[in-house]
Parts: sequence; C-alpha cells; structure tokens
Amino acid sequence: MNKISSIELSFEIGKSLLENGAEISRVQETMERVAKAYDVDSFNAYVLTNAIFVNGIESGEVKNTALKHIKSTRVHIGRISALNQLSREITAGDISIEAGYERLRKINEIPYSRLILTMLACAAGSMAFALLTGGSFLDSSAAFVCGFLVEGILHLLEKHKTSKFLVNLLASAFVSVLASLFVLIGFGDDSAKIIIGSIIRLVPGMALTNSIRDFFNGDYLSGSIRMIDALIVGVCIGVGVGTVIRLFSMITGGAL
Amino acid sequence: MNVEAILMLAGTTAIAFIGTIAFTIIFHVPKKQILFVGLIGALAWLTYSICTNLGIDIVLASLISSVCLTWLSRILSFARHEPVITFLMCGIFPIVPGYGIYYTGYYFFMGDNMMGAEKGIETLKIAVAIAVGIGIVLSLPRVFFTFKKRAGEGKRV
Repeated sequence: MNKISSIELSFEIGKSLLENGAEISRVQETMERVAKAYDVDSFNAYVLTNAIFVNGIESGEVKNTALKHIKSTRVHIGRISALNQLSREITAGDISIEAGYERLRKINEIPYSRLILTMLACAAGSMAFALLTGGSFLDSSAAFVCGFLVEGILHLLEKHKTSKFLVNLLASAFVSVLASLFVLIGFGDDSAKIIIGSIIRLVPGMALTNSIRDFFNGDYLSGSIRMIDALIVGVCIGVGVGTVIRLFSMITGGAL
Repeated sequence: MNVEAILMLAGTTAIAFIGTIAFTIIFHVPKKQILFVGLIGALAWLTYSICTNLGIDIVLASLISSVCLTWLSRILSFARHEPVITFLMCGIFPIVPGYGIYYTGYYFFMGDNMMGAEKGIETLKIAVAIAVGIGIVLSLPRVFFTFKKRAGEGKRV
C-alpha cells in the first residue's frame, strides 16, 4: 500500500469517522471532499455502517480499497469533531497529504476519558435522570451508586468483548438487582425510579438518531442496520429489567 | 401556571442541564462545547415539560421537543463550526423513553400483557416521534439556521 496517497488518506479519515460513531452521510461527504481537495482524477466511495468501499484513479493509477467489519463500539465525539476540523482545513487547501496523515495520526491518539471520570459522570447523569422521573432524594442517591457501578460493568464487559445483547442484558439486569436490593434495605423508596435513572446510559438514543439521519439521507440499508440495532438494545434492556423484577417479586412475594 | 409550578420547572430544567453535561463526559464531547450541549438538554426538557403541562400527550410533546432541540443544535453547529452530532447526541438524553422501556419490560414480565403491549407501543411511538422530529429539521436547508445568506459557498459544517 502506497502510504502517500490522497485516496488512502481519504479512506483512513472515513474509517476513523466511522469507528468513532459518525453517521454515514458525513463519512461519505467528508471522504469525497478530501479526495476532491487533492484533485483526484476519479473517486467513488460507498459507505455502510460496518464497511467502506473506495475506488479511484490517482495520477493515472487505479486504486481500490475496501474495509469490512468496522467495530463501532465506542463513541468519541471529540475525535469526530477534530476530523471535521481537519476536513475543513484540507478543503481550504491548507494541508499537504503528509501533514494530513500526521494530523490524522494525532487525532486517532486523542485518549478516552479516564475510567473513574466516566464512572462519576455516569453516576451524576443517573442521579439527575432519577430526579427528573420524579424520584426522591434517596432514590437519586441510590441511582448515583447504580450509575457509578453500571459504567464500570460496561467497561468490564467491553474489555472482554462481550456481545451487544449480553452487555445490555447483563447491565440492565445488574442495575435492577442492585436497585431492588437497595429498596429492600431501605436505601431508596421506589425501585422503578432508580432503575429508570440508571438505564438511561444504556438507552440507544445515539443509534436511533443516526439511523434516522441515514434514512432521511436515503441510505436505507445503513439506516435499517442501526434501527434494528436500536430496537434490539431496547428489547434487551426491557428483558433484563423485567426478568429481575419478576424474580424479585417471586422471592419476596410481591413486596416490590 | 402558578409560582410553584414555575419553580418546579426551573428546578427540573437545571437538573436536565446537569444530567446532560454528565453524559457529555462519557461520550468525549470537546470541552469547549460542553456548556452548549447542556443548554440543548435543558431546552429539550423545558419544551417537553411545558408541553406535558399544557396537557399535550407525551408523543406529540416528544415530537415538539425534538424539533426544538434539533433546531438549536443546527444553529449552534453552524455558529460554532461543529458537526451537529456533537450537540444532538447528548442533547436528546432528557427525552429518550427510558421510562417506557422500563414499564414495557415490567408489565410483560409481571404477566400483564395488555399493559405491556400498551406501554411498548407508546414507547415505539415516542421513539418514532423523536426520530421524525430530528429527521425533519436535519433535512431543512441551511438558510433556516444561519441567519445570513451564504449561498454558493457550499461549505458544510
């Protein structure tokens, strides 16, 4: 693979966008924009939720690139934002191909937040949403603990490459067990409020939004993929929560 | 609306603001934009609660709210040269139907299929309403959001 190629650069930028959770139309547009800025003779890109296919002619040479199965696991908006900035500068004609590669490498090295920080953020978020659903102060304190631990669980499951089904099922079941136990020992008044606050982290708002963007842009295939993704995650959460509540109500004889 | 209701609204909006900001950290929103994302979350909650307080049903309230928050997201995205997803992604958290998912699971597993189906359909309706609201605003041309005409420049943000 020739490293100093604008088609390659465009492909790598697209790949990075897709991996960090950008929507299809943005990936496609950015790639075309970058290729056009470097005066590529011909450029065609086809982007799916989990694959990119590129075909182009650069200085009389035909180049084909295909990438299959991108695991878009973690959203990193900071990187998407930086890539957007990079593509704007490339379009303005300020950046050579080598410099573009260098910038891309730096963007891909923007770190994720520290685990403890995201755990605290998730805890605070869960607390806030428990309050918004009408929970008492005790409920939201319990949601704080649940949110803190659920982010840790998510991180742990992700590290062991657990499937999406299982991650959402286990995480929501875990939250429900914790919330029910908290209510049993008197730390919290209403397990529903605690659970609703803590599962907000899992709810597939992102997949839903992106899926709709894809639909409205005419990318029906990618839109359907993400829509099914959102639906499955939603169902998994429901099943995880429902199972645990049922079990608890059987054990405690309907006390909850 | 009396004073108490307005105070309640202000309080919950502030909580939505904080909750949204908390989630921006998880999804690595750039630091410069965090307060703006918080504003979007607060606006989402504010419009949603005003609608429900006026007696509008929650599906329509979700639609109105998602239109408002996407509108502001696009304005900010043009003004601050950021992808619209930066604002949208965490901004919709206050109106996503976590409540509906919980009760759907709850009723189905407690054996009350009627209520489960009812809640399930309601949750789907809310999800579709949010999605349609976002989709409509995102497909509007940029002149609706920039306040000044820059036609022909062809730059996308």
